[in-house]
Amino acid sequence: MKNFLKIKHSTLIAITISIVFCLSCKGENETDILKIGLAEEPRTLNVWLASDANSKKILSQIYQPLYMSEPATQKLIPWLAKEHPVYNPETISYTVTLRKAKWSDGTDLTSKDVVFTANIIKDFRVPLFASKWDFVKKVEIIDKQTVRFYLTKPMAIFLTRTLTGPVVQKKEWEKIVQIAKKKEKPLKTLLNHKIEKPVGSGPFVLKEWRKGSYLYLKKNTYFFGEGIIISGFKLGPFLDAIIFKIFGTSDVAILALKKGTIDMFWKGIQPGYLADLQQNSDIRIFFSEKSALYFMGFNLRKPPFNDINLRRAAAAVIDRNFIVSRILQNYGTKLFSIVPLENKFWCCQDVDHYCESHPRDKRILLAYKTLRNAGYTWKISPVDLDGNIVEGKGIRTPNGKPMERFTILTPPADYDPHRAMSGMIIQEWFRDLGIPAYSRPMSFGSLLQTVKTKHNFEAFILGYGKLSLDPDYVRIFFHSKNDKPRGWNMSGYRNPCFDRLADQSKTTIDPNQRKKLLFKMQKMISRDLPYIPLYTPKLIEAVRKGKFTGWVEMQNGIGNIWSFCMLKPDHHTKKSF
Amino acid sequence: MELRKYLFRRLIEITIIFFVIMTILFLLFRLAPGDPVSRMVDPSMTPEDARHLISQLGLDQPLYQQYIIYLRNFFSGDFGVSFHYGTSVMGIIWDRLPNTAILFTTSIILSAFVGIFLGKIASWHKDKKIDTWLTLGALICHTLFLPWLALIMIWFFAYKIGWFPLNGILSPEIWIQTDACFFSKLIDVLHHLILPLATLFLIHFGSYLLIMRSSMLDTLKEDYITTARAKGLKEKIIRNHHAAPNAALPVVTSIALSLAFSINGGALTETVFSWPGIGRELVFAVSNNDYPLAQASFLLIAAVVLLSNFLVDILYAYLDPRIRY
Repeated sequence: MKNFLKIKHSTLIAITISIVFCLSCKGENETDILKIGLAEEPRTLNVWLASDANSKKILSQIYQPLYMSEPATQKLIPWLAKEHPVYNPETISYTVTLRKAKWSDGTDLTSKDVVFTANIIKDFRVPLFASKWDFVKKVEIIDKQTVRFYLTKPMAIFLTRTLTGPVVQKKEWEKIVQIAKKKEKPLKTLLNHKIEKPVGSGPFVLKEWRKGSYLYLKKNTYFFGEGIIISGFKLGPFLDAIIFKIFGTSDVAILALKKGTIDMFWKGIQPGYLADLQQNSDIRIFFSEKSALYFMGFNLRKPPFNDINLRRAAAAVIDRNFIVSRILQNYGTKLFSIVPLENKFWCCQDVDHYCESHPRDKRILLAYKTLRNAGYTWKISPVDLDGNIVEGKGIRTPNGKPMERFTILTPPADYDPHRAMSGMIIQEWFRDLGIPAYSRPMSFGSLLQTVKTKHNFEAFILGYGKLSLDPDYVRIFFHSKNDKPRGWNMSGYRNPCFDRLADQSKTTIDPNQRKKLLFKMQKMISRDLPYIPLYTPKLIEAVRKGKFTGWVEMQNGIGNIWSFCMLKPDHHTKKSF
Repeated sequence: MELRKYLFRRLIEITIIFFVIMTILFLLFRLAPGDPVSRMVDPSMTPEDARHLISQLGLDQPLYQQYIIYLRNFFSGDFGVSFHYGTSVMGIIWDRLPNTAILFTTSIILSAFVGIFLGKIASWHKDKKIDTWLTLGALICHTLFLPWLALIMIWFFAYKIGWFPLNGILSPEIWIQTDACFFSKLIDVLHHLILPLATLFLIHFGSYLLIMRSSMLDTLKEDYITTARAKGLKEKIIRNHHAAPNAALPVVTSIALSLAFSINGGALTETVFSWPGIGRELVFAVSNNDYPLAQASFLLIAAVVLLSNFLVDILYAYLDPRIRY
């Protein structure tokens, strides 16, 4: 019995020791591995299919564009390209010279790859890229490092949108393309191709993707940028690897950040977490501007919002100060134009601010006057005979009919609490005027289908969290040719004058001339109010202090390729001093 | 012979029900608002490109044609390709299913064993202190809000005292090592399993305890228990050999159904613990209109639930000699 107990004890001790040993096993150079928390798992690493934010985050470390924005000024600078493109107005062509770069498998990145990428997009009409390449007539190989793009007409977005797309390797995709072309549904075959180990030219390369758990990216030893200076940055990467861990909720990710299980949570943090994080001396918080637009849109195709006076009255009662200070807890900017204020070059600030600094009573008074002058009447007027503000009731439209109740569609609070709350508060402001508004949260998919495809709505609140720096979206959102099912002119705004300016802006290459056109367009939208811009939230991000230094702040946050090329492990920095 | 006939009839019923479920699933997803393309909110994507993608996905065809393709694919064992992952639906399900099965099946079996055992004890000591405490404990655990409990468990055991990992099924730091042995990986997974398992156990064991207790109390009033006592049998034998097997019938139904539903995991548990199971995928598939993935997942659940019911019917006849079909 004694012997048995002895054996039992020694077995137990052995098991405990091995468990402790196993659990304490860590990588040799774990300090040089950056650990990033992702809010959701990337869906795919097929660059032609990836439309979700997390897939794009991973792919941005692997596939690289010819040009990209530099951090300080957001200006376009050559990346895979060696220098700025040379434009020939006679042939409407751009000549691009490539840097000497290699793919992660060690083969050369050449003009053949660029032409091949262009042909895939054009031949298959890859939905996420096709519209940016529609006007590219031909792409020609001049030599191994030079490529020429012929356009059907000059296009403003060619540099900012077309040449900023990813370049893929011909060797990797050639066979897949050949097979896909023979299929009945070539695009489907291309999109459904499973990419296990993408070959890229970026600073990192995928080593392992354990589904549902993590993605392990190793430093790409063939990265063209290593050691060279671009835009004042001597690029690395100085990290050995990046591990992306998947988190189901922000709560747990924040705990992981506080505990040091991750070094960064690559998702905007809700202001509610800030107080806790700011108390933690190991955490550094970054506040960045976002190129984002959150707005209220109206359906101009039918009553009641086909009346501009009602839209103006709505703009008068909406108190952006309240939305930004109370709902966004001051972590946002009031928005008056369709182009976010943070996009300094393209944003027109000389637009109507509709009672921005007025108190509530004055707003209601002004909105009341606008409506009264347009022929609206009330059973109980929101402004009594003594000029006091009272609760308005029984509003009638200029044709004498009672205004029917309508809904303001918003995404649900679990998807975006800010938009859902904004809808509720705007509903109350409308009711102050006697306007029978009802805020209704709706699942995001249904909301998009209702406003984009069915056009069966009165008003909605939506937003774009990451607009491109190029303001071509102003044209896309309001051009009358986009007023169709699945078109981006969700409001049904039709203005021939705007269309003319929009068409002109599309083909104007000179930025200053284009800016003038864009300013006119923004003023028109501010006057006609198919959308009422509401706010741009600030991007709040948090990282661990003391392990890595060199985060590069730019618009849309510190999670950018510059950061990942510049981050250095702390011991690395200390050694070099 | 009667049992055979009954089972044959039940199999036919199950097949019919399965096809009804298949059809309802097909229609539900097609008639639900939204489509897989509508969530691609890139302003540069034109309506023409969106329509092109829809046609490539085969969603522009009339509903009856899509249904025929759906049935044809089903019979050839092809559940299609996920719209968002771009990979085979069955591949995604087989990737996630083992994770869900490990966590949920283990938790159900464990909580059932403990629940049955404590239920027996509680009923045997009816109206005594031990019964009161066990019943109260079971009621409290059973009514706890799962995401809250999960977060509290993570906060205390993983964050505050650091006994367990915060989330996930494994530690990348161990798994990326080329020299990591199988044993250390196994230990790592088990280490990750403890916290979610404990949470699910706390939530589930109470219901088994309460069912077992109430069923035992009914059984203990039966004549054969009095007879056993009159024969002078030991209390332990009466409890474990005479009362418990007869009282276990409702618990068996409950366990079988829980095991069947365990394959759909629990979206909330999997989300809070970042457990890569099928529950999270189901939620994603439904909210993103990923029809092939959602359909295949629900079909799998339907098939397992129907088969479990079938097995429970057989098990009943085995467990209770009074039941004959």
